[in-house]
Amino acid sequence: MTARNPDLNVQATAARQESSLESRFHKLLEAAPDAILEVNSEGQITLLNEAAERIFGYSRGELLGSNVESLVPAAMRGGHSQHRGSYADHPKTRPMGTGLELQGQRKDGSLFPVEISLSPNWIEGSLHVIASVRDITERKLVEDRIRILREQYTAELTAKNEQLEARNLEVEQANRLKNEFLASMSHELRTPLHTIIGFSEVLTEQLEGPLNEKQQRFVGHILHDARHLLELINEVLDISKIESGRLELKRDAFDFNKCVEQVLAGILQQAVAKNIKLENKTSFHQPLYADQLRVKEILYNLINNAVKFTPEGGSVRVESSHDRNFLHVSVCDTGIGIREDEQSSIFDKFYQVEDPLRGGREGTGLGLAITKHLVELHGGNISVVSRPGHGSTFKVTFPLVQAPATL
Amino acid sequence: MKLILIADDKATSRELLRTVLERQGYAVSDAADGKEALEKVRAETPDLILLDLQMPIRNGYEVLGELREDPAYATLPIIALTASAMQGDREKALAAGFTGYLAKPVALSHLREEIQRLLDPKNAADSSGIT
Repeated sequence: MTARNPDLNVQATAARQESSLESRFHKLLEAAPDAILEVNSEGQITLLNEAAERIFGYSRGELLGSNVESLVPAAMRGGHSQHRGSYADHPKTRPMGTGLELQGQRKDGSLFPVEISLSPNWIEGSLHVIASVRDITERKLVEDRIRILREQYTAELTAKNEQLEARNLEVEQANRLKNEFLASMSHELRTPLHTIIGFSEVLTEQLEGPLNEKQQRFVGHILHDARHLLELINEVLDISKIESGRLELKRDAFDFNKCVEQVLAGILQQAVAKNIKLENKTSFHQPLYADQLRVKEILYNLINNAVKFTPEGGSVRVESSHDRNFLHVSVCDTGIGIREDEQSSIFDKFYQVEDPLRGGREGTGLGLAITKHLVELHGGNISVVSRPGHGSTFKVTFPLVQAPATL
Repeated sequence: MKLILIADDKATSRELLRTVLERQGYAVSDAADGKEALEKVRAETPDLILLDLQMPIRNGYEVLGELREDPAYATLPIIALTASAMQGDREKALAAGFTGYLAKPVALSHLREEIQRLLDPKNAADSSGIT
């Protein structure tokens, strides 16, 4: 091929023509992915791009001069010419049929979803409308898919929620039944214990006649074990109340030292029997605002344990110190101590340390678990320091809460 | 001699309480249900009632309610007796109009103190203690 080839001259001329502004706009129009149509006031298509041919399935020749309504689904054609009239009254750029699901119709009669934007174009005093038509089939598909997924998801969620609600109801009911069972069990066990303990006490008092030494001892055993049984029932009831969150504190301002005295008095007999010295070294002379019965229970559990695990001739000491915010109470014993690997477990429910003094294990293993819960309900904490063979010190800290002002 | 009415549906409990109270020097009458308790109160006008809360026919609360409506028994000492040990039972009983509350099993010393506190307050000892 040479430069003198006439074809090349034609190409050069075409290149010059193509660089004209109109040609550039023409290319812009043809490159647009949306169908762009210009319609005159009669509704005839006067201009269109390649995308319009592709989207509607007509050739350019077929579309030019034909009525735009052939692209509108048959069912909507009647309304369309009216809409064209009303657009002429307010000609400005706006989307067509806002909020409506618009459809286009292909040459083969098939319908597809479209989005149309309208712009007025005045040509020699006559209103033409430029319609930019976007085929939104793909987008609709995605939207439908999302909608279906969302509906499925919502339905699943609703079903799950219903299941959960039903499950909650079941749990609530089971919990209520458990509480009712515990309440009635406690009542049924206490009723005979009332007379077992009562009659044993009457017999120990020997008011109905003297008992010989053996009989006294036997009645003593009945009384001791019946009281133990009562303690176990109370502990099981307590832990169940604590775990279901039904144990509420009844705070009151009371004399803490007197409270320690009373608890020690209750344990004195056991201590004397083992020749264990009980000492009260507490020095808190302000009223403590807490649940007195529960504080007594905490002290009782700790001191009682201390006596239980201290060999004959030892000592158990209750001490206290306080600062502005806390009361620190320690129960120290000269007992057998707790192995280091057991120290973290002793506050667990049902954990029992073997009692080498008497052999075997006694109780429910709930005492310290309850004690810890009761201390924590007061906002305090409990810990233990122990050296096996030398003794243990249980430390309880109560926050000093201000009693509400009384009227 | 002061008369104490024991209302409890358990015969063994009635016998226990009767034994302890008679030994304390009180006259004792008893009833096995709420209806009988009300009849005995009206017939015998006791000085104090030990009223079990769980009884057939009329329970302790119903008996208390009926008695407290009658001005003649508005201030009669009535002690609630119950083997139920639920939190708030004591408060509920005292709020309903009971004069005292004893949980079963009742320590005999506690029973004696409570009755003495209500019938013979001058000689009653300090009854605070561990229950």
